[in-house]
Order: sequence, then C-alpha cells, then structure tokens
Amino acid sequence: MRRTLLLLSLSASIATQAQELCGTIADRCEKHITAQYIPDGQFYRALLQGDEQAEFNMTLFGGTTYRVAACSGESDGILVFNVVDKDNNVLFSNKDQGNAPYWDLSVTNTIDVRIEAGLDPTKAGSGCAVMLIGFKK
Amino acid sequence: MRVKPSSAFALALGSGLLMASCGGSGNSSTDNAADTLAVDTTPKETEVLNVGGKLFSIPSPVQTALAIRKAGLKYQKDMTAPLEKGDATVGKVAQSALLGIYGADMAYVTVHKDGQRAMATMQAIEKLGGKLELTNSFDKALLDRFKSNLGSEDSLLQFSGVAFRAADQYLKDNQRDDVSALVLAGGWIESLYLTVSDPAAAKDQALVNRIGEQKTSLNALVELLEASDKEKAATALVTSMKELQKLFSGVNSTYTFQEPVTDAAKKTTFINSTSTVTIPADQLTAIVAKVTAIRNMMLA
Repeated sequence: MRRTLLLLSLSASIATQAQELCGTIADRCEKHITAQYIPDGQFYRALLQGDEQAEFNMTLFGGTTYRVAACSGESDGILVFNVVDKDNNVLFSNKDQGNAPYWDLSVTNTIDVRIEAGLDPTKAGSGCAVMLIGFKK
Repeated sequence: MRVKPSSAFALALGSGLLMASCGGSGNSSTDNAADTLAVDTTPKETEVLNVGGKLFSIPSPVQTALAIRKAGLKYQKDMTAPLEKGDATVGKVAQSALLGIYGADMAYVTVHKDGQRAMATMQAIEKLGGKLELTNSFDKALLDRFKSNLGSEDSLLQFSGVAFRAADQYLKDNQRDDVSALVLAGGWIESLYLTVSDPAAAKDQALVNRIGEQKTSLNALVELLEASDKEKAATALVTSMKELQKLFSGVNSTYTFQEPVTDAAKKTTFINSTSTVTIPADQLTAIVAKVTAIRNMMLA
C-alpha cells in the first residue's frame, strides 16, 4: 500500500514536472510562429531520451506555406527534425541548416509527410520536444 | 506524434524528467538512471505524461474555410451551428465536439468577414469553454481582444488559433486527451460539412480534391479518437467515423517525388512533388451524406 502511494505520488510529481518543462519550452517556441502565421490550434510534444525520435504524420495542403517550429531544452538548436515524404525521401532537414529552430515549407501540391524529431546528441541527452505549426493565409 | 524506439522508454522517462527538472537537458542523460529505477516503469507513467501515445496533426479548420472562400462559394451563415446549442448541450462528448464545431464555424464566418457572427461565436465558445473547464484559454480577455479587432480578419484568426492551441496544451497537460480529440473531430467534421453542404462544391475540382485529401487526416482522427476514448463514451461517434473511413477508402491518390529546393536565406524549402486525388462521383455523394449525418449526430 505504502509503495503504491509512493509510486502514485512520484508519477504525479513527474507529470507536473513534465508539464512545467514542456510549458516553458512551448512558450519559447511560440515566438517562432510570428504574427504572419496562423497557429494550427494544436500542441505537439514528446519526451525524448537518447536517440529516440518523435514522429507525427500530417497532410500539407497545396498552395500553402507552413512554418514548423521545433524546440527543446533551454535554447534553440537542440532539436533536429526531418520532413520525410511517403516514399521516405527527406524533403528537409534542419540539420543541414545549423539545427534551425524553425523553417518554412512552401507546398505546391498536397502531400502527406512524416516529421521526425530527435535531440541533437551533442547538445542534450533527454528532454521535452515541442513542435508547433502555423501557416500563411 | 509517436516516439520510437519505445524499448526502455518508460524507464528512461523518469530519469530524463527528474534530471531535466534538476537542471535541464545536459549531456549526461543516463547517469541518474539507476537512481530513478525505483520509479514504477510500467506504461502507466507514459499515459500520465501523454507520451508514447500517438499525436496527430489534423488540418486547421481555417485552411478549409480559406479553401471555401477561394472557390467562391456563397457565404451561408445558416449553415453554421446554432449558437444557442451551447447552452443546452450536456455531457463531455457532446460539449467537446460542439466546441470543435464552433471553432470551425468561427473560422468560416471570420474569413467571410462576418465580424458580428464571429464575435457571437467566440462568446459561445467562451461559455462552452467554461463548461469544459477551459477558462484559461477562452476567457473575457480573449473576448475583449476579439472585440477590439473585429475588423482585422488576420488578428481574429490568430487569436482563435492561439486560444485553441492553449486549450489543446492544457487538455494534454491534464490527461484529457479524449476532450482534445473530440474537439478536433468536431472541427474536422464541421469544416467538411461546410465544404460539402453547398452543392456547388461538387463542381469545383479544387474543393473536391480538398475533400479527398482529407483521407489521411480521417485515418489519424479515428486512431486518435479510439486511443483516447478510454471511458468508451464516444463509441457511437467512433463507429460513424469508421463508416466514413470506409467511404474514403474509395478515394485514390498518386504521388510523384520531385526534388525540393531550399532557399536558406529565406529559411524556406519549396516542396515541388506532385500529387493527384480522385473520388468517384457516387463515393462523393455517399461521403456528403455521411458527413451530414455525423454532424447531425454531434448536434443532436
């Protein structure tokens, strides 16, 4: 019984810490979705350890410019992300751009992509990964 | 969003977070692992933290509203959901879906420059948000900002996008992923309803394509709803969405990779791959009927 209570207490404590950790990162990340972009209204986060990768699938609609912001840790440039098409072609990697914390994707035709995000091992071993998406009208 | 590989993830989670809470994201990630192994490493923790589960990006209703406007379809305020419905709706499933519906309606009326209706819709959202304990996202301050910027479509879309994102974050932080998924479902269905309920939409190829392009999003949405509905409170909705999914299986698409072009100075990559989507006419008719039925079910 005591062990269960301890575990529940620890779980709750970890959850609160995760919220605070991710919340702070989200606040910083939001600044990259500037006023020119309309937020998509969703919040994406994952807790990463080592070489784990977070991934999510999304449809990019043709004729739209998207802004993808990817943040972790206490400063920009910690999260590496790749945009990959359904045939596994890498369409963009922020690693080629000095781990840029945000990037615009100007999409001609509607495509389904997968965004994979992981920590730069030279900068962090664990942390909360936050991704935010906005788009231009 | 999915995390891979998942082996030892729960184990690492405790150590990673405790370490992070003690000073952030340093390099020596595994050093403290032994100290935290006492923490129960069953998947329960990942559920509590909403990690390891799947998160998906569902298209913003604003994008669909913009597509409707671009196609030149007539603005029909009467197609939006009755605002008084918010007062009468009870229960988490119905309220959550209705919040999403109002979000999509607000995008629709805003891009059609109906500021008065946008304001009334935001008031309904604020009231409904209160019922769902989302007053941190939809509050009087937001209404005031809205009121002061009624003439600025961009500002209204920005405010509402930020508010819905804050609500989504709050819901996920508080393990209310079921509500988050239902809000997305309501918004997605309403967007599609607003698109298909005008018969002129079927004659606009760009809009027909846009309907077909929702196939992947629907698959994601169904998965999201199923995964988050632990109380089995939304079974009827999930069943209906799966029926819609079957109709969407008749949508065919092609994809051809083209080399993207990156302009580093502009921090922009131009994605030039091509794609096509085809919906047989009878399939489109069936989709229209099903979307309308699901929307009616949400508003019942």
